[in-house]
Amino acid sequence: MHEATLAENILDIALDAAKQNHAAKIFKVGLTLGEMAGVEVEALNLSFDVLKKNTPADGAELVIKRVPISATCNKCGKNFRLERYNFFCPECDGILILQSGRELLVEFVDCE
Amino acid sequence: MEIKLMRNILGANDEIAAQNRKIFTERGVVVMNLMGSPGSGKTTLLEKTLTRLADKIKIAVIEGDLFTAKDAERIERAGVDVIQINTAGGCHLDAPMIQKACVSLNLDAIDLLIVENVGNLVCPAEFDIGENFKAVVLSITEGDDKPLKYPLIFKESEVTLLNKIDLLPFTNFDLQSAREDLTTLHPTIKIFETSCTKDTGLDDWAAWLLGKVAR
Repeated sequence: MHEATLAENILDIALDAAKQNHAAKIFKVGLTLGEMAGVEVEALNLSFDVLKKNTPADGAELVIKRVPISATCNKCGKNFRLERYNFFCPECDGILILQSGRELLVEFVDCE
Repeated sequence: MEIKLMRNILGANDEIAAQNRKIFTERGVVVMNLMGSPGSGKTTLLEKTLTRLADKIKIAVIEGDLFTAKDAERIERAGVDVIQINTAGGCHLDAPMIQKACVSLNLDAIDLLIVENVGNLVCPAEFDIGENFKAVVLSITEGDDKPLKYPLIFKESEVTLLNKIDLLPFTNFDLQSAREDLTTLHPTIKIFETSCTKDTGLDDWAAWLLGKVAR
């Protein structure tokens, strides 16, 4: 349950961005989360909703975009989207190197 | 207005992890982040590892635990420096905790620092502490389905120890299937089969670990 830590960091980043842009109210916080990142979205929302109280993000919601797991073969260089966690190249004897799916990003803050 | 940020949620932790890593490299300390479920046998494995390596290299241990000092007391009996971090309910260790703990360690006198993380297969995998490599202990009684259920920790770890291997005949753990899952998920992962009660595989494991330090 490290979602509380993540929610705390997300809130800090959002509040900091709002302050720097002289915004008094945050409406949305956009997140980009990889499918392989260890995040339970429900727990993250719950933590964020508790932490945001009495801050400029009081009425803010998290807008979450998930990024699929993709990887590139270290031999043939082809790109694959992974459904199961199989990191052997389906087309040659190479090994797939993770390209996306580990993202944990605050993409944008919508505020005024 | 919409402000584009693209900021790493764990950026603050990762920055301190990078500082830790730089200090460890400068001081010539190899750091292993030892992870695994509660009860997988991390502390017993650590005791057995220390017995094998303590006269060859200088080792120190950081023990992560929710509330107690039970594990640290066990490690202290092995005669190595040990620092206890109580996370007070926190499910993982993070880079600032390690940074703080290292203040009371004489890093110049240490070859290998082993950090025993809080027992958990999820959260510790996400937090860089500045280690050189991660190791994960999976005990036979936990079941062979764990690598695909908790892929991140096995993807992140350079080595997996299939521990309590002596219990294999008493369970439905499919060793071949577990090995296949581990390898498809992480083709270069190193796997050891160990038992701390029967002293199986521990010499090979200790030799591998010694090789990581000597390099």
